[in-house]
Amino acid sequence: MDITLDDDQTLLHETAVSFAQSALTPNRIRELETTADGFDPGVWREMAQMGWAGAPFPEAYGGAGIGPFELGLVVEALGQSALPSPLFSTVIEAGLLLLDAGSDAQKSEWLPRIAAGDAIVTTAISETGGGLAPQEICARIAPTGNGFRIDGAKLFVRDAGAAEAIICLARAGDNPHDLSLALVRTDAPGITRRRLQAAGGEALWEVRFENVSIDADAIVGQPGLGWPHVARLLLRGAAFKAAELVGIGKASLALTLDYAKTRIQFDKPIGSFQGVQHHCAEMFRDLEVSRLLTWQATGSLGDRLAGAREVAIAKLKCGRAIPALTRTAHQIHGAIAYYRDYPLELFYHRAIAAQAAYGDAAYHRRVLASMLTTDLPQFRGQGRHELPVHYF
Amino acid sequence: MELHLNADEIAFRDELRAFLKRELTPEVFAANRDHSEQGMWSETFTKAFRRKLGAAGYIGMGWPAEYGGGGRSRIYQAIFWDEMEYHRAPGLDRTVTYVPNAVMAFGSESQKAALLPAMSRGELSWFVGYSEPDAGSDLANVKTKAVEDGDHFVITGQKAFSSDAHMADYGWVAVRTDPASSRHKGLTMFIVDMKLPGVSISRHDTLAGWTHHSVNFDNVRVPRSMMVGEKDQGWKVIMGAIDFERAALASPGLVDYQFDRLLAWSLRDPHGNGRPADDPLVRADLVDLAVEAEGARVMNYWLASLHARGLMPQHETSLTVLVKRETSRLMDSVAMTMLGLHAPLRAGEPHAALAGEVELEYRDHLYFQFAAGGFDITRNVIATRGLGLPR
Repeated sequence: MDITLDDDQTLLHETAVSFAQSALTPNRIRELETTADGFDPGVWREMAQMGWAGAPFPEAYGGAGIGPFELGLVVEALGQSALPSPLFSTVIEAGLLLLDAGSDAQKSEWLPRIAAGDAIVTTAISETGGGLAPQEICARIAPTGNGFRIDGAKLFVRDAGAAEAIICLARAGDNPHDLSLALVRTDAPGITRRRLQAAGGEALWEVRFENVSIDADAIVGQPGLGWPHVARLLLRGAAFKAAELVGIGKASLALTLDYAKTRIQFDKPIGSFQGVQHHCAEMFRDLEVSRLLTWQATGSLGDRLAGAREVAIAKLKCGRAIPALTRTAHQIHGAIAYYRDYPLELFYHRAIAAQAAYGDAAYHRRVLASMLTTDLPQFRGQGRHELPVHYF
Repeated sequence: MELHLNADEIAFRDELRAFLKRELTPEVFAANRDHSEQGMWSETFTKAFRRKLGAAGYIGMGWPAEYGGGGRSRIYQAIFWDEMEYHRAPGLDRTVTYVPNAVMAFGSESQKAALLPAMSRGELSWFVGYSEPDAGSDLANVKTKAVEDGDHFVITGQKAFSSDAHMADYGWVAVRTDPASSRHKGLTMFIVDMKLPGVSISRHDTLAGWTHHSVNFDNVRVPRSMMVGEKDQGWKVIMGAIDFERAALASPGLVDYQFDRLLAWSLRDPHGNGRPADDPLVRADLVDLAVEAEGARVMNYWLASLHARGLMPQHETSLTVLVKRETSRLMDSVAMTMLGLHAPLRAGEPHAALAGEVELEYRDHLYFQFAAGGFDITRNVIATRGLGLPR
């Protein structure tokens, strides 16, 4: 066991932090929150050149072949600078979904272009109910003479405005799990898109599909067997959102410490007051626990056991602790950070958006609570002792 | 980055688990638990068990080979502490975790030669003489004095909150050697033989039911050879050694045991009213506790990894102890509010839930909040030493 970064991991993390910090100014980041794309295409091309757009893909598809733990370090660094990018939509969602479930032809067509930064692709899973359960999917996919047609409305679709294609989850039959995945080009007739007005930097969209025709070879994976792939997508999304939250927490604490060391009141830096010191110590405590649980979660994505427990624990912890940390950060800053030209607000908003993504704290608490009664060994994790029963 | 124990580490852990299970059967518990002792085991059994740990090679396994140690990495040390705590084994205190490391780091060659072999065999017991009636969180306020007299120093004063002093062979004692000094300057460390004339011990009953002690030194003549480090340089020794103590305190074994015990309780239905775990509100609390326990566990092994890499974590150690102890207190308090009318029933009362252990620990663990750097002092340390906030 060695829960520290090796030299390559340290270098990757430092490179990502340094890139993200210099890529865009806070003003430009704010500006992007209102543009259609929601990110800076030039910055995304640079990120692709650094190898991050294809980071987890095999080299055969133009990727860098790095593991999920290393990708988590990159995501954390981007979160730390509130840097908007299509990494979640295009790489973590669509790219890894295609790698997981796509045909050879689909992988060859899309993954090299994604890795090169030439294609933005996203996925459309949730609907107006906002839930993450298969029975909540109402969009329909039905066979036609030579393909399929899709009808339905999707919400919370990342980067749909910039996307060339959307992988849509739709119902093929009445059985709750009878769901198919279909890759739809966004210029297909019958697709309408509207950007949601939402807190945080991600461009989230409502996408409507009305009598949208697709070819038979646009199905991703086997018809009717889309759900297991989506379940893994949600697990990956939750783990990497936890990593983003860690970055958000790091940035918020760093801003707070700088302020507490330099803001003079009562003739002293406010950071010399124990009331402020204890808040900062608590922020650091929660951040470090969140960081380590997240390392465990992203690291476990590569395990055979797939890390369902570890991811739920990390996302539950980060989803609660990091937004709370940003609230304390504002409390210590006082009025100055309430103004939009102070960068703390970027992290305040991103924290609340990130905690909602891929299952909020309540969702992951239910996941673990259900695991406790349905699969006790998984709930307890590896290497545990026999439960003490000598009391009874 | 390797998140899991490797095959050798797992083999060591499993062997250790088997050893502890064999040695600490329910019959051994019944015969030797003693709630009047801070360690919850009788003095006789504690000392006998420590010798067994020594004979099995566990005490010295992480020591450098030059001191007769096994040279095992800090990951093994962490596994040892973890399993000892989980099995509630006796003797995991300063005598095996702190003092040997302090002697190795700061003791003279003759002190090491005289003490370390016996310590590795588990034959010696220690008390740590830092705290005094007026030196608690403010450790630099030590008033016990030592006056130089030829080849001896004559120690006079009182040490307070002296855990296990009544069963100690030696004291690791901070005294003021420069009467004109104040605060951190002018302190010196001594190893004091507790059988010397002038050493006496007082008893204090704690609210947890066990007996605590204070130590009085009345013109105790200690040979100069038992001075640790240089005269008037004791603060360096204290500060240098204190992280050894904290690293052992960070072990997650206790928290895991607390959780497993409550989980086992929640999965039973002795009265036919349904298992507590089938109540979604109980389950939600259990999930929250599991998350915090996992955090304490990962953080402890992160700390051990830093040590294993040869780094010298400082505020990270304080942080990890804080997380472990706060999590343990969370376990205590949530469990007490789950066990209903049975919660306040004490050990020995036949109707007590979980043999009254949760009620006992609810009192016993109260000391986590103030001892060996209490919660708020630890937050001060993290803020100033860790985060660089001004004093």
